[in-house]
Amino acid sequence: MSTVSQLPPLALYVHLPWCLRKCPYCDFNSHELRGELPEEAYVTALLADLDGSLPAACSRPLAAIFIGGGTPSLFSAAAVTRLLDGVRARLALVHDVEITLEANPGAVEAERFRGYRAAGVNRLSIGVQSFAPRQLQALGRIHSSDEARRAVTLARQSFDRVNLDLMYCLPGQSPDSAVADVDAALASGATHLSFYHLTIEPNTVFHARPPVLPDGDAAHAIEEAVHARVAAAGFRRYEVSAWARAGEECRHNLNYWRFGDYLGIGAGAHAKLTTAAGIVRESRTRAPADYLRRAAEGAIAERRVVSTADTAFEFMMNALRLTGGFPEKLFSERTGLPLSAGEPALSTAIEKGLLERRHGEIRPTALGARFLNDLVALFLP
Amino acid sequence: MSADLRHIRNFAIIAHIDHGKSTLADRFIELCGGLDAREMSNQVLDSMDLEKERGITIKAQTVSLPFQADDGQRYQLNLIDTPGHVDFSYEVSRSLAACEGALLLVDAAQGVEAQSVANSYSAIEAGLEVVPVINKIDLPSADPPKVRREIEEIIGIDTQDCALVSAKTGLGVRDLMHLLVRRIPAPSGNRSAPLQALIIDSWFDNYVGVVSLVRVVNGTLNSGAKIRMWSTGRTYAVGEVGTFTPKAKPRESLCAGEVGYVIAGIKEVHGAPVGDTITLDAQPCAAPLPGFLQIKPRVFAGLFPAQSDDFEALRVALDKLSLNDAALRFEVESSAALGFGFRCGFLGLLHMEIVQERLEREYGLNLISTAPTVVFEIVTTDGETRLIENPASLPPPNEIAEVREPYITASILVPQEYIGPVMQLCVGKRGVQKRIEYLANQVSMEYDIPMAEVVFDFFDRLKSLSRGYASFDYQFSRFVPGDLVKLDILINKERVDALSLIVHRDSSQRRGREIVERLQDVIPRQMFEVALQAAIGSHIIARATVKAVRKNVLAKCYGGDVTRKRKLLEKQKAGKKRMKQFGSVEIPQEAFLAVLNSSRGTKES
Repeated sequence: MSTVSQLPPLALYVHLPWCLRKCPYCDFNSHELRGELPEEAYVTALLADLDGSLPAACSRPLAAIFIGGGTPSLFSAAAVTRLLDGVRARLALVHDVEITLEANPGAVEAERFRGYRAAGVNRLSIGVQSFAPRQLQALGRIHSSDEARRAVTLARQSFDRVNLDLMYCLPGQSPDSAVADVDAALASGATHLSFYHLTIEPNTVFHARPPVLPDGDAAHAIEEAVHARVAAAGFRRYEVSAWARAGEECRHNLNYWRFGDYLGIGAGAHAKLTTAAGIVRESRTRAPADYLRRAAEGAIAERRVVSTADTAFEFMMNALRLTGGFPEKLFSERTGLPLSAGEPALSTAIEKGLLERRHGEIRPTALGARFLNDLVALFLP
Repeated sequence: MSADLRHIRNFAIIAHIDHGKSTLADRFIELCGGLDAREMSNQVLDSMDLEKERGITIKAQTVSLPFQADDGQRYQLNLIDTPGHVDFSYEVSRSLAACEGALLLVDAAQGVEAQSVANSYSAIEAGLEVVPVINKIDLPSADPPKVRREIEEIIGIDTQDCALVSAKTGLGVRDLMHLLVRRIPAPSGNRSAPLQALIIDSWFDNYVGVVSLVRVVNGTLNSGAKIRMWSTGRTYAVGEVGTFTPKAKPRESLCAGEVGYVIAGIKEVHGAPVGDTITLDAQPCAAPLPGFLQIKPRVFAGLFPAQSDDFEALRVALDKLSLNDAALRFEVESSAALGFGFRCGFLGLLHMEIVQERLEREYGLNLISTAPTVVFEIVTTDGETRLIENPASLPPPNEIAEVREPYITASILVPQEYIGPVMQLCVGKRGVQKRIEYLANQVSMEYDIPMAEVVFDFFDRLKSLSRGYASFDYQFSRFVPGDLVKLDILINKERVDALSLIVHRDSSQRRGREIVERLQDVIPRQMFEVALQAAIGSHIIARATVKAVRKNVLAKCYGGDVTRKRKLLEKQKAGKKRMKQFGSVEIPQEAFLAVLNSSRGTKES
């Protein structure tokens, strides 16, 4: 077991699990909404859950809040206001706290976005995925490309910071059509792009009935084309799939990758907390109904202390996703372990040309970034 | 209590795979009350998991059955089970040495098959009484008169006294037992002479040490006696003797004429070698029993542990397996590509597969095997004759005067309608027809074929083009000089010794191309491009490239659910563990068998 000298920064993840429809590629804990959205009861449950988590915060202020889903924008501005007011009543927030909410482009109203902004949300993340009608259909999205554009425009009216989720290497996609998507995203005024290579995950419709996707070389051509375009527009890739204009990086996600702590409330939410017993990971029950019933007593599905060997691995699995890597001292600050706990994998990775260590910084090389799985696997206990 | 010699019958069942031997044995056991209904799991005698799965008998098993005949006499019937596959004919000869007679069991629909012919001849040569039995007479397609004719014409035994049974329904089985008692002679032997017991089989049990199956030829073997192994001269105190019913049932003694087991606290794996004679230390016999011919393995392959630290475990496992597998030979081999392992000799491909599967299952080993090869004979330029069991050890061409490859005589028995494709296959395998005979409905053919051609995919193809009806038996005949060359495989310009093979020059180009193409399929794309080449000496005859993979990254990984992403990485890593690192290239295990599969994959049309 390890002890850190100073607790890491703390963030809060809030999971709102409902969607109008489950997308065929989605493996998140999302549930199709049947009947009325129980937003009143759910916010009450979230706050009760948070009450139980307060001791773990150890008086740290929240550096970021992320309201994800599901489709959080199904929740009314009033519900989000009550949620965030409730959070503020329980925990301090840093003065420039980042509060992100995820929204889907279907049927959005300017009014609702203004309400979110008034509630304190200062960053909107829109699940556009593509602007091409054909791709939207293939991805089972319920919005049209016009709705996507309109959603971003409306978002920009209320928010300075807007992220778009985009996917590439879609069924039947050519480099040209992928670049057209990127251009539409750039033209919309987004400040951050989460740019995912479509991956077929287990337990999804796509896994059961796989679409025909661009193969290795075609996928590579698409990736090269879109990356070049985003870079030329002044975005910097700071993580495998995250691109931002200067200063627009997502602080909440950076906290994950820098192995910070986070509370997780809501159905299926995960938390990572540094405690006297070591690093603890928690997850909440995944079924919304079950969560609603048990939130007051925490609704914990699993809670485990991460072993020393696993701690070093988990740190690397997160921190090496960052293109800039991490300062050497961050490793011991976050894990309480000497950097040598990463040996012999560190040396092996350097020897294989996957990692470089310079001026007190450790970062993946270009090769290591492309073969991140191979790099991280070296650290598996 | 030991039965009177006159009331003992020791017999084997000769049968082709699937002709119902195990089912018949089960009926015998049932009729004699060896097991109650609850204990009768299907096919009791096939005790190894592998045997049950494949439906074949690999090792000899035995069962001692009390049979109450209709005349009121009580007999002890000792059934010594025999394997049915051509690769195990040696095991058959061992079983036969313990018997006075054999039942020749033939499927009433399928008719006589080549291995049964070969095994019947072995039984007749060994002086056994062979009793023909036609099984599965309840099948609609059964044709007993045709099968009778085949038995008479092909094997040449009289079928007047032929038993007609259905082992499945039990029809005729009791009559068969009476026939058996009448036809098969009782054993002879002198119970007061000095002890002579032949070890038919031995295996290692983790609790009691070596267990040996013996046939007592003369004298009496008592529990508690001090015995001496003829070959080693070492003595042991007998802890237990008994018979299998098929459960092990301890007895006071085993007498001349009987078959049973001996446990004598032998802890060293090779303490009771198969074929050895057991005698009494105090009153030894004058001479050992003839024992068995030392059998020569015909097919060799390297077996390497996938993890190098398993080398010692592999040695121990091979040692234990070889105890009752006289044909299994092994010696340490070191390969630049695969590290330390063993060069193993097998009777044939099935034998090799079974040994490998047993090592993996029973001993939990993860193995890499190289492509099997036959033994070549070379004459060096300074006139020395050498056997080459490993292509990698073939000397450079300038030191070789002549390379000779082994030829076999293949006996094939096939229904007339398939004769065309079978002949085509044999000719395609460089075979030369020696004899052809039309017998009843079947054709019996004899071919002279290079063994290397048969080892690879001959048997499977013979089976498939005859819809399973063709059967096949072979014997080594001689070494024949040929234009044979060593084909090397290079990965990223480096020769991989474990992939070398010796081929006929005429087919070297084709084989080289097939192998690199096959390797291109089985070697996964990795971080860097992998160049594959086939070469004879320094001459490259085929090449292919495994293109580099572009990336291996998880697109999404949030702090949230780390466990699932981690599992994915662990899966990738586990996949790699099964691969062998060669320079910077990771080669999966199946690549080392690419030589084999290449010929299969391309010709199967």
